[in-house]
Amino acid sequence: MKLAILGAGPGGYVAAIRAAQLGAEVTVIEDAEVGGTCLNRGCIPAKALVASSRALAKARELERFGIEFKGEFVPNFAKIIERKNKVVSTQVKGIRGLFKSWGVTLKEGRGVLTSAKEIEVRTKDGNIEKIEADRIIIATGSRPVQIPAFPFDGKNIISSTEALEFTEIPKSLLIIGAGAIGCEFGCIYRELGTEITIVEMLPRAVATEDHEISELLEKELKKKKIRLITEIKVEKIEVKDDGVHVFLSDGKELVTEKVLVSIGRALNSDNIGLEAAGINRGSRGEIIVNNKMETNIPGIYAIGDVAGGMLLAHKASREGLVAAKNVMGINSEIDYNVVPVAIFTSPEIASVGLREHQAVEKGIKYKTGHFQFRSLGKAHAMGEITGFIKLIAEESTDKLIGAHIIGPHASDLIHEAALAMKTGLTIRDIAETIHAHPTLAEGVMESAEDLHDEAIHVPKKMSAVLK
Amino acid sequence: MNPEDIKYHKEHTWVRVSGKKGTIGITDYAQDALGDIVYIDLPEVDSVVDADSEISEIESTKATSSVISPVSGKVLEVNEDLSESPEVINEEPYGRGWIAVIEIENASELEDLMDAAEYGKYVEEESK
Repeated sequence: MKLAILGAGPGGYVAAIRAAQLGAEVTVIEDAEVGGTCLNRGCIPAKALVASSRALAKARELERFGIEFKGEFVPNFAKIIERKNKVVSTQVKGIRGLFKSWGVTLKEGRGVLTSAKEIEVRTKDGNIEKIEADRIIIATGSRPVQIPAFPFDGKNIISSTEALEFTEIPKSLLIIGAGAIGCEFGCIYRELGTEITIVEMLPRAVATEDHEISELLEKELKKKKIRLITEIKVEKIEVKDDGVHVFLSDGKELVTEKVLVSIGRALNSDNIGLEAAGINRGSRGEIIVNNKMETNIPGIYAIGDVAGGMLLAHKASREGLVAAKNVMGINSEIDYNVVPVAIFTSPEIASVGLREHQAVEKGIKYKTGHFQFRSLGKAHAMGEITGFIKLIAEESTDKLIGAHIIGPHASDLIHEAALAMKTGLTIRDIAETIHAHPTLAEGVMESAEDLHDEAIHVPKKMSAVLK
Repeated sequence: MNPEDIKYHKEHTWVRVSGKKGTIGITDYAQDALGDIVYIDLPEVDSVVDADSEISEIESTKATSSVISPVSGKVLEVNEDLSESPEVINEEPYGRGWIAVIEIENASELEDLMDAAEYGKYVEEESK
């Protein structure tokens, strides 16, 4: 079986390795670098910056931990970027090594479908190569979307890609969009000293999350002196000598050094030869697929961002695994019921399943359990007491249908809930599982207990003031 | 001891009236129940608050809680010192730990509040 994969991001490279493991002869075509947006311009470099920013935050509060330092901690931005680049290049080498080890061929160049069985590759040295394949997986991903009225200029009006490549820390940064990307960059650069303003069209930050999560994040942003302006649009941007002037829909004018536009991503489904192969697209440009990741053309699959749905690396990877199996004749279907999400703000956010307002909209009779990290000994010992865990269960079955965490290590803690949902466990199952002490995971157990009003570390009687 | 010159709300807040102005804060009982206060989300000057509704949010090492306003009116002033030193609320809940000054809109609301003796009894009942 000859398989060609267009794109080596977290969808494409994972599909390549799994297909190779199953015995396919795999060629991956990539015009930038293996790892795609996630590894080169997204998740991983951003997390390297998050780590530097959090290290600085921790250093600045060492005194609270009984550690004295006579002097001042200051960021060396060139070294922070250097470290970030090192993290990325190590991972890139890792994927290249995996390709080699599994016998996956990497063609570096831009690939375009010329038919349902052939991809034409313009290699980096200018040659044209034709690759024939029995099956094709399209995994071309997405790119930051720009606002037509004020397009990216790479310097003053930028996307997340440039925000990972600054040469110095900006004095001020206005971020359009308070989603995951906007809030993450806001937290990173605020700690490094940048004045941050976030302008959001919707009524709340991280609007796709549970409202209680948004509320607490907004409060934490305020504590950091990040200015969040909601339900306001940016109408006009003018680059002048004294900075970038941003005109808001309420008539206000703000001046900032740079504007980061993080309002979403556009799908890379143009100029890749979909027409030549006869592949159907939907209204947002997404390649239409079924639950086996098959397009309308037999033998051609699409996965990841370009196939629409949630723009998440791990969703792309899972679709890659499903597509690879189907390519090799092993029936496999995707299941989107349990897809955890992690947002690396400070504090961190993670969620899986239904938000409370979604449970209401669906008319589900549900119960919620809450637990504050500040009620845990471990959180106090770590000096990270902000945040909570909220579980939502269907009342009649006691099954977990949603979990929402904001606080230390939320992105790791969410997976207990994800596994519980995937396997149909009840709140009682979680509550009755012994959790090691002292850990943050005890909070998951206590929030499960709280759902049945049985939490140990929650006082019995709470007047409104103590709620 | 709870001071005699102020009025108390059942959600453990107080108001000290001076003409049309009311200075508000949380009671000694509330600060003690909350434990070490680490943050207060102060209301905005010129914002309008209703009696019996949240005017501010307070965070201690034990809990996060709503501060319920005992009176309705416009916020004239907030205690900015609390942003840097919220622990002052623990130290002097009736003095330097005041939270905001409100322009009292409806003086009749004061009649629904408790005096020091009534509040003392109320707290005794609550903590039984």
